[in-house]
Amino acid sequence: METITITLNGREVSGHPGMTVLELADESGVNIPTLCNDSHLAPFGACRICLVEDERSGALMASCVTPIASGMVINTESARVLERRKIIVKLMLASHPDSCLVCDKGNRCELRRIASESGIGLVEFQKIPQPSLIKEVNPFLERDLSKCILCAKCIRADHELVVEGVIDYIRRGFTSRPATLNDSALEKSDCTFCGTCVAFCPTGALMEKERPYAGTTNRTVTTICPFCGCGCGISLEVKDNTIVRCRPDKDSPVNRGTLCVRGSYGYDFVHSSERLTQPLIKVNGDFKGSSWEEAWDLVATELGRIREADGPESLAVLGSPKCTNEENYLLQRFARCVLGTNNVDNSSRLYSAASRKGLGWNLGLPGTTGSLENLEQSDAILVVGADPTSSAPLVGYAIKRAVRYRGAKLLLVDPRRTKLTAFAHLWLKPKVSTDVALLNGLARLIITESLLDEEFVTRRTDNFEAFRQGLETYTLELAEEITGVSSQELRSAAQIFAAANQASIVFGKGVTQHITGTDGVMALANLAMLTGNVGHGSGGIYALQGDSNGQGACDMGVLPSFLPGYQFVDDPQTLKRFADLWGKCDPTGAGLTALEMIEQAREGRIKAMYVVGENPAASFPHLALVREALASLHFLVVQDMFLTETARLATVVLPAASFAEKEGTFTNFEGRVQRLHKVIDPVGQSLPDWGIILQLAKRMGYPMPYSSLEHIMDEIEELVPFYQGTGYTDSEMKGIYRAEFGNPPPGARRLYKGQFPSGFGRFSPVHYVPNRELSKDGYPLTLITGTSLYQFGSGSRTSRASRLNRFLPEAPVDISNIDASHLEINEGDRVKIVSPSGQISAKARITDTVTEGMLFMPIAFPESPVNALFDIDLDPQSKTPSLKACSVRLERIDSHE
Amino acid sequence: MNEKNTKCDLTLVDQIIEHYRARKWPLIPILQEIQNESGFIPPEAIEPIARALNMFPSQIQGVITFYSQLYTEPRGKRIVRVCRGTACHVRGGKTILKLAKQHLGIEEGQTTLDMEYTLETVACIGVCAMAPNMVIGKQTYGHLNPKKVSQIFGDSTNARG
Repeated sequence: METITITLNGREVSGHPGMTVLELADESGVNIPTLCNDSHLAPFGACRICLVEDERSGALMASCVTPIASGMVINTESARVLERRKIIVKLMLASHPDSCLVCDKGNRCELRRIASESGIGLVEFQKIPQPSLIKEVNPFLERDLSKCILCAKCIRADHELVVEGVIDYIRRGFTSRPATLNDSALEKSDCTFCGTCVAFCPTGALMEKERPYAGTTNRTVTTICPFCGCGCGISLEVKDNTIVRCRPDKDSPVNRGTLCVRGSYGYDFVHSSERLTQPLIKVNGDFKGSSWEEAWDLVATELGRIREADGPESLAVLGSPKCTNEENYLLQRFARCVLGTNNVDNSSRLYSAASRKGLGWNLGLPGTTGSLENLEQSDAILVVGADPTSSAPLVGYAIKRAVRYRGAKLLLVDPRRTKLTAFAHLWLKPKVSTDVALLNGLARLIITESLLDEEFVTRRTDNFEAFRQGLETYTLELAEEITGVSSQELRSAAQIFAAANQASIVFGKGVTQHITGTDGVMALANLAMLTGNVGHGSGGIYALQGDSNGQGACDMGVLPSFLPGYQFVDDPQTLKRFADLWGKCDPTGAGLTALEMIEQAREGRIKAMYVVGENPAASFPHLALVREALASLHFLVVQDMFLTETARLATVVLPAASFAEKEGTFTNFEGRVQRLHKVIDPVGQSLPDWGIILQLAKRMGYPMPYSSLEHIMDEIEELVPFYQGTGYTDSEMKGIYRAEFGNPPPGARRLYKGQFPSGFGRFSPVHYVPNRELSKDGYPLTLITGTSLYQFGSGSRTSRASRLNRFLPEAPVDISNIDASHLEINEGDRVKIVSPSGQISAKARITDTVTEGMLFMPIAFPESPVNALFDIDLDPQSKTPSLKACSVRLERIDSHE
Repeated sequence: MNEKNTKCDLTLVDQIIEHYRARKWPLIPILQEIQNESGFIPPEAIEPIARALNMFPSQIQGVITFYSQLYTEPRGKRIVRVCRGTACHVRGGKTILKLAKQHLGIEEGQTTLDMEYTLETVACIGVCAMAPNMVIGKQTYGHLNPKKVSQIFGDSTNARG
């Protein structure tokens, strides 16, 4: 590659064309101060602090926007440079308040640091009066623009990284400053409070508003965000044993300097006063605190007794996609070796089982096939049944960046208007639950118009003929009739998707949480294979994960039909391998899935359950029935951070440590294995889940031979081929991003060069089945559920995160103008939503995001558990319950009642 | 300047966007055309412009507020610009401005309630020989004195009816 050599402070250094002087200096170890430059943002040249002198011409140039040119003689610390820089900083200080002593930015302020490094004392310039604090009522961030130095980092982070476009400069000259549209308060704008601008702001102009804990931090620990499956790196700043602040980890290849509101402001559940600090044992209906010894002994004795009396099949274990890989691995070993049952599942069953099943069958790989970076490089992106801007914000950012800055075409399939709609090239609004018909229609058109990738189909896949025949009935006319999407739009979507060099598919719960979820996923996989968009270049399938370790919990075999690494429980050779390693592995045949456990508990066949880090009494469908089933158990052990709805039904509650209090690994939705680091000591007597499980195993007569987490990961690497090279090879456990993502070792889970694990991808003919649940007499409206930015999971953590909870404490139900006026409902009215399975109340929000006959409600609000409205209807293939759409009616609750 | 609408006509905005959007750098021409047609750029126009040009509304606002000749509020049918340049100043421009304020009953930068006049000042209009000066619409008035100012506004007031 061509190189350009310049002289930098008397030394010859070389860089590649296009590099700026600042970049080359950085690379050569020469420090040039700057306030407006950041490696995640395009160079801007606003602050002029990074001045350097070209010794040949004597010109002073901003090094961040000056490309290197052959023969340049650059001096970064000539007398002229230092003098001018000093003046620029002084001018900034002249319009900056002298409040450093009480400014919370304190020693983190970059302006103050540069002023100090430039040797500036008192500023002789006349002070320029500055605007005062902007009044905001949001609990997340505040703007004190008297401290703004107009570096535009906030604006650029907003536009270039988060692509929300909420702020830009307003006016010019002395009155210029960053402002929202109409200069309104942030909470009245489209701001999502992701906190990215706060992290980028070099001064105290943008700050966290309500800080649960104040003070100068003395430590920063980098770990992984505990909420969604994106797996962002976060830097937690700690004072003593308290987390004071959360910032994005700038080195994380996942979030690259950004975060979302949950990541930035949701961590404080860790310090909630409701954290469990000691084991609880229920005596005569009331919980009494106990010692660990007592609790462990009771659990071991009871589980042992029930196993003896009713057999291991009367026991069930529910693991958590919020626990680490190591913990999940231990938990399934506990279930299989200690309890002797395959009745072990995790609650990602609620959203990702269909994608595991569908993708596993078609591609031989139960998960996402590419990385976020690749997604961003796609030419066309098909998003089906997902609102990543809320459920997986980093995926949302990547899609928006691809559209706005790389010209990618977004094909959005969603009956509801979301933030992505504004970015869509084509927005298809199919009737709810008609995805399979829509996707089959697209596939058929691609075949009949010869838009398919014939080489890929011929060389890499099989079963094409059966698939093609199965599509014959799905003419555009039929697809239009079923989905309500015009054949013209369908045609243009098919053409764009097929024509794209690299086309990606992103899907979420809108596909998987239907009783035909697996079919929907297979239809998507078919479409990807048909157009040759699996594993080569950028094209790929992105299955969003609801939880931080949804992928890992399944990879670790917390599944009733799979041992770690998706190895079948009924394969004798596999069983023998595991039995040899573990000493024993008795259970044979697939166990019960999560919802089947509940059903069998209700029927009395499951007698005892061990629930780790999961809250089925709030997150499963048909809550009344789930609670009844859990309450009817002879023995229920719940291991959690809080006394959740589920824990209240337990006999023994074991206090678990939070993500910030333990080590381990999470696997994000891309399949990237990332390290968690211990930030603070466990709260009270709580213990990490892995420690609790090890103790229980020991007391039940099967001590597991692990001396450390490293030891556990070594075993995982041995058993799970695609986890090789992800372990704690670094003795200091520093390298947080262990998985060599761009260049995986053999056996890794990426589909390299389209090479499928079994050699061939397999087309699966799938057929549209009408959803009869959506047309019940007396329930005229269709309710769609989804994720809100401000509550998450079952709400047990976010409802205890003070700022998130205060910003949006109550679930709104979105209703169209037409339905609202028809039902005489006004904005803000309390309404009752009734389905055949239950009823909840919520506050009406009249909006154009939903159409006539459609309602929308976010999940995870503890006061309005929308799952209560669903019956337990399982997708027969994946056993995922339908949780996405149901028919309801709406009743006004009159205020005088 | 011709008589302008003071209300926002979004179909007009859409037509203007359609006319210019295929051009290179269409934002400024669109804003100017909307202002030519409506007399100002209604805030409601920002959203459709942003959508059409794949920009953020905040960016459009940034451009509008950057240029002093783009307005976001309705303006009078006639713009009164009193010269505050040096030559006019020494010949009593300050008094002319005071009189104009009195006659119109508004401050600098404001518009009369009947939407007839907007009062502005200008640094120099380039006819210093005729100082003190004032421009109303496209008509320049020079060699001003209090009587003349009264006549000008009196006439206009009469003309208004």
